[in-house]
Amino acid sequence: MSAGRDDLDALRAEARAALAAAATLQELREVRARFLGRKGSVSSQLRAIGGLPAAERAAAGEALNRAAAAIEADAAERERALERASSDAALVQRALDVTLPGVVPQRGALHPVTRVERDMAQFFAGLGFSIEDGPEVETEWHCFDALRIDADHPSRDSHDTFFVSGGHLLRTHTSPVQIRAMTGRTPPFRFIAPGRVFRVDFDATHSPFFHQIEGFMVDERVTFGDMKGVLYAFARHLMGPEVKLRFRAHFFPFTEPSAEFDFSWHGGWLEWGGCGMIHPGVLENCGIDASRWQGFAFGMTIDRTAMQRFGIPNIHRMFDGDVRALEPLA
Amino acid sequence: MKVPLGWLREWIELPDEAALCERLTLAGLEIEEVVRSGPDLSAIVVGHVLARRQHPNADRLSLCEVDVGGPEALSVVCGAPNVAAGQKVAVALPGTTLPDGTKLKKSKIRGESSEGMICSSRELGLSDEHEGILVLDAAAPVGAPLPQVLPVGETILDVEITPNRGDWVSMLGMAREVRALFGGAVHLPPCEPNESPRPAADDVRVAIEAADGCARYVARVVRGVRVGPSPDWLRARLESAGMRSINNVVDATNLVLLEFGQPLHAFDLATLRGGTVRVRRATAGEKLAALDGETRALAAADLVIADAERAIALAGVIGGAETEVRESTTDVLIESAQFEPKGVRRTSRRLALRTEASYRFERGVDRDGVARAADRCALLIAELGGGAVSHGRVEAHGAPLAHTDEIELHAAHPNRLLGTELSRDEVVELLARVGVAAKAAGEHLRCAVPSWRNDLDIPADLVEEVARIHGYDRIEATLPVTEVAPIDRPAGYALLDRAREALARAGLCELRLFPANVPADLDALRVPAGDRLRDAVRIENPMPGQGSELSTTLLPNLLHAAQRNLARQVDRVLVFEAGRVFHDRAGELPEEPLRAVALVIPGGRTSLWEAHEAPAFFQAKGLAEAVLAELRQPVEFHAGGTAPWLHPGACGELRRADTVLCRVGELHPDVAKAFALDCACAVFEIDLDACLSLAPVSPAFREPSAYPAVRRDLAVLLDRAQPAGAVLDAIRRTAGQILAGAEIFDRYEGKGVPAGKVSVAFRLVFQRGDRTLQDQEVGKTTERIVAMLGQRFGAELR
Repeated sequence: MSAGRDDLDALRAEARAALAAAATLQELREVRARFLGRKGSVSSQLRAIGGLPAAERAAAGEALNRAAAAIEADAAERERALERASSDAALVQRALDVTLPGVVPQRGALHPVTRVERDMAQFFAGLGFSIEDGPEVETEWHCFDALRIDADHPSRDSHDTFFVSGGHLLRTHTSPVQIRAMTGRTPPFRFIAPGRVFRVDFDATHSPFFHQIEGFMVDERVTFGDMKGVLYAFARHLMGPEVKLRFRAHFFPFTEPSAEFDFSWHGGWLEWGGCGMIHPGVLENCGIDASRWQGFAFGMTIDRTAMQRFGIPNIHRMFDGDVRALEPLA
Repeated sequence: MKVPLGWLREWIELPDEAALCERLTLAGLEIEEVVRSGPDLSAIVVGHVLARRQHPNADRLSLCEVDVGGPEALSVVCGAPNVAAGQKVAVALPGTTLPDGTKLKKSKIRGESSEGMICSSRELGLSDEHEGILVLDAAAPVGAPLPQVLPVGETILDVEITPNRGDWVSMLGMAREVRALFGGAVHLPPCEPNESPRPAADDVRVAIEAADGCARYVARVVRGVRVGPSPDWLRARLESAGMRSINNVVDATNLVLLEFGQPLHAFDLATLRGGTVRVRRATAGEKLAALDGETRALAAADLVIADAERAIALAGVIGGAETEVRESTTDVLIESAQFEPKGVRRTSRRLALRTEASYRFERGVDRDGVARAADRCALLIAELGGGAVSHGRVEAHGAPLAHTDEIELHAAHPNRLLGTELSRDEVVELLARVGVAAKAAGEHLRCAVPSWRNDLDIPADLVEEVARIHGYDRIEATLPVTEVAPIDRPAGYALLDRAREALARAGLCELRLFPANVPADLDALRVPAGDRLRDAVRIENPMPGQGSELSTTLLPNLLHAAQRNLARQVDRVLVFEAGRVFHDRAGELPEEPLRAVALVIPGGRTSLWEAHEAPAFFQAKGLAEAVLAELRQPVEFHAGGTAPWLHPGACGELRRADTVLCRVGELHPDVAKAFALDCACAVFEIDLDACLSLAPVSPAFREPSAYPAVRRDLAVLLDRAQPAGAVLDAIRRTAGQILAGAEIFDRYEGKGVPAGKVSVAFRLVFQRGDRTLQDQEVGKTTERIVAMLGQRFGAELR
């Protein structure tokens, strides 16, 4: 019986099938003995080599050895696989009920207004706007007069002001920060001023306090078009590329020209904020030469953006301290 | 302001409604609402009569084929004699409800089916005409809703007027704005009355005594008037603008107010004493019985219209009852004046009396329109009530109000401010559209301000007009070009931000609450009189049911919020608020220090994996320490403290050197009770302002030891009253350098521990950074510690 190449390939294929069929380590040992043992197929072939012509013996022997080594490697691999399977089977015997709940760390939550305010501040930081703040109890000068909101002018009517002891008031908007920031500073500069403001107004859609973000920039050539560009970029940052803005002429005593701006997200216009080129009189009130410097200012509520972002139906739901509603917004 | 479009159309040609609303809104006249009067005919459609033939079974009926834009023409039976092929008609389809409430169905009329109804004007509620069907314009598009082709009823725009534009509050003002935006010509109603030969000056004398309160006063007299109800058209017109009809004379003054924005007043001339009108300040103790039935005490600053003896009207605000025009009135004095706006506003505000007149005077009237309005009103009264208009006006002048006649505008100013590239001619043209005549003068434009534009004062005002009429939407959005500069954040702002972040990360939910309290809140906190927390800023006009003082501590509102949460069956409350509190500083602006207050109410609920939740105090203490660590403030805990709202046996302070940065403790039971908190509750308050004054210490890198550590656990019996923290401190000091860590890992009292004693277990970790410790070293140190514990604390090893 000669051990031709084809025979060896067949032998190896037969061994591989037998190894694969071995389901336990015991069966594997039997298969191994059948092929590699002293009375196994390989041994009998080895014995047959002795009957070959001398010139063929060396080549046939080498081929047989290679086949034997390959079968041995296959057997070892099968053995490892069977061992792993058997130890895994033992582990499954001691399985956890993995459907029990995981341990959830106590999750805190920043207030929706805080989160939106941070997002806004981060956007403006990217455009090089510093942050400025000011007191919440203000003087009439900073809150109204310096902004040209005259006590005897109807424009004061829209500010339902809380007056406090000492002849002061709770700021009705963040614009007084403009006055404080610009006074004593030389342009160019650009700031945002986020913060809490107060109005004597309490009904279904009004809270006596809410939050605004004010932005202003003064330089030699900064224009109304620049203001539109900044607000467009801001709107896209907050609401995505499909947002639209609309600027409507309006009146504010502290800007000229003035505008209100609305956004449209998925149809319909929603009022967002007010803006305009800072009135020269305001610049002069802050000691800035209005013949050289000009700039824009804008302001909007943070709350409305927060309500929109989180789908909060009513402003009071943000400020009534209901942790059931606020915690899941984390 | 309510603007009926049919009325406005008499002043100027209007574009289609959508374009009008859009442009007005963008130009600053925000349309708040569009109100339609008349029947709703939006379900009625335009039909085309393709063919008409005689109904086979009825002489007076026709059978029509009508195209309403559907796939097939409808068959409709019609009883009107005037229906004919080729007509465009109004068709109600089955399912439609007509204005009289009839609901249409498919029907058979004398054996022929009818799939709709061709309507008459009466059936549509448009008129009493019922002779035949309504025939529409031949160009009407088939299938279109009827309101699109037939103006039905009146459309009224409710327009928001900005407070700077007194000139907008009239039909004339609206017409001018339409002209500015769309072009066209403004048509004024007739303003020249036929006069009788009798001079008005024979009837009345006018004197302005308070010259600073009234720039101009014009009186007109109409004699022999029959006062009575107004005709229907006038009543309808006033009502459409939101005013009530009184009588023909008063209605005439109100109509002119709506037309020209000039408030007028009509007096019964016969009731004026001394034949004199005086414009003067009120005298001490003077009173006026006003038209609204109320008698008001006047202040010395109030401007009044008086006769020879008494005040008869509050100038620019309201007329007096004694001189009002009534049915018996025959001779009427018409007042048209220009009052000083701020004075009118002060009086109106003081008396909380806002009228159509005060609203307009506050915003300023057209100084050149005063006489015209009086003339127009005289004409109307004579038309409506008969009577003869006396010859001429009786006028008086006070100090003219400050106004700007001319503004010099640099021709490049609009482009410089707006970022546009408008030519000089375009600027001139845009200004001309709002009535500003601009003439070139070198690099500048000399701009003449029209008499009705009290709001135009400086070049920027003209730039706004240029931008407004050009269109804000046509100004290109660009990004500013400027120098790069580093940004800045105020230290307080940055710290507040970090504190909020740290508190939220520690597992607390941030609340934002109205920062006001009532004094009883401080009583409930057991804050003694004279305490700094009592130095609150008072709110002079608090809202009912809300706090009357600005918060000096954030705690009470947080406790109220916690209580509300418990009431909503939340069993575990971990919340905080961070922000400003307010301390009064007489005269100056209050101090506004930054605080963070947090509250822990454990749920008392064990989780699946943990046997019990830590007591409230220890949760609060741990959270406070974690937050201060996050704020880079190295602190030490000291038992005890002084806050009256804390449990005296369960409180402490976190101090950095001598500065208290945080007070932590269980809520005093009396305080918990006062806030209706029926559960264990611990709070901590971080003084962020104090943190601001101390430089943060960032953690520095330390190489962990490469040598093995040795662990020793010591369980000792201590007196129950002995604070374990002090024992731990003593262990640390005794152990010296080789102690790498020490903690308390168990505390036990009960079975096996003598009464009055407690078993406390310490875990000590010994390690050196430079070499492996020898057992002997650890042994000796441990012995030293045990000896020390015995000597100093009477502790025995268990």
